[in-house]
Amino acid sequence: MTVYSFYIFDRHADCIYQRRWLPSSLSGKPSRPTSDTQTLSHGELPGPGRSKRSADDDAKLVFGTVFSLRNMVRKLGGEDDNFICYRTSQYKLHYFETPTNIKFVMLTDTKAPSMRIALQQIYVNLYVEYVILTPSTSRQVVKNPLSPVEHPGGVGVNNELFEESLELFVVCMMMSGPASGETV
Amino acid sequence: MYVAGKKQTQKFLFPHHLSFILHARPLRFPFDSPVSTAIRVVYSLIIINKAGGLIYQREFHAGLQQLSTNDFLVLAGTFHGVHAITHSLTPQIPASAASTAPSIGTTAGTSTSTTAPSGAWTLPNPSLPKTGIEVLETDRFRLTCFQTLTGTKFLLFTDPPTANIDVIMRKVYELYADYVMKNPFYQLEMPVRCEAFDRHLATWMRGRT
Repeated sequence: MTVYSFYIFDRHADCIYQRRWLPSSLSGKPSRPTSDTQTLSHGELPGPGRSKRSADDDAKLVFGTVFSLRNMVRKLGGEDDNFICYRTSQYKLHYFETPTNIKFVMLTDTKAPSMRIALQQIYVNLYVEYVILTPSTSRQVVKNPLSPVEHPGGVGVNNELFEESLELFVVCMMMSGPASGETV
Repeated sequence: MYVAGKKQTQKFLFPHHLSFILHARPLRFPFDSPVSTAIRVVYSLIIINKAGGLIYQREFHAGLQQLSTNDFLVLAGTFHGVHAITHSLTPQIPASAASTAPSIGTTAGTSTSTTAPSGAWTLPNPSLPKTGIEVLETDRFRLTCFQTLTGTKFLLFTDPPTANIDVIMRKVYELYADYVMKNPFYQLEMPVRCEAFDRHLATWMRGRT
């Protein structure tokens, strides 16, 4: 399976983290993953269909989509129904929302299995561990229960620990193939 | 003699006090019973015209929330918009990486990324055209969307474990073609009010197991 991109939205509908994986860059340079939108919008060449749209705009579109779909699903299936994923002919979008309305979104290829557990694991094992429990600015690992709850503009989410472990998690998932995607 | 024997066993199998089993069989309780997965429930069908307007809505089984007509109109419009956005969200990958994508990290070295012309992009599944949402899954239901070449969208709400929805979808489309499109009084893009379509759809859905 292939993961194309990953987004985190906070409860104010801001995109606090986004990361894209392109198949060519996976095997290429082993550089540290970057999350800030500047490097994404300048570092990658836009495709023909999206030349006018930056990665930032993409994130907004993704948010709008999952927001509308989530509301639609709740209206149809009841308040406790959950939107899990949708699939088009070209890609699959997986969605996971925490009780605090943080939304995790992942775009993969169409053959990918359900990534709900994977997204939950990213939340529990990576996000809670490295974003919520570590202070936003310092580089040394200090678990801090008083760290800010909000991450305006993605400050504090794009720390080294979180990004590295996310990179490792996703690459492992891609290597392990579709069958074991849920268990990783 | 053989016939008589068979009659006897039949009588033995279904004594009067158990005959309710025979009568109860055609009635189906799609929810709360383990049989529901085998029956493959179709909750409802929605048809959206190419402008995003709701032209048909019909419920076959209870199970989803009851919505007003206005809510369904809003839902149709929302889905139409989201469908278009999901179409444009399709990730585009470098043309050189498309062929090497399955073997990540083995052979696709830096050479491919450097030799790739900077303008060449391709779709993840180049053999298929770009589409919007085809299947949407939630805890409670599964939504399957089929878009015709003219832009009309058929939305089927089914039980999540239901398989072979394309068969159901094809039949619905067939009935639509036969009883709506061939109806001389039907105006294109307008709400579907064709009694024959309703009737045949209901009959087929009831007969389906």
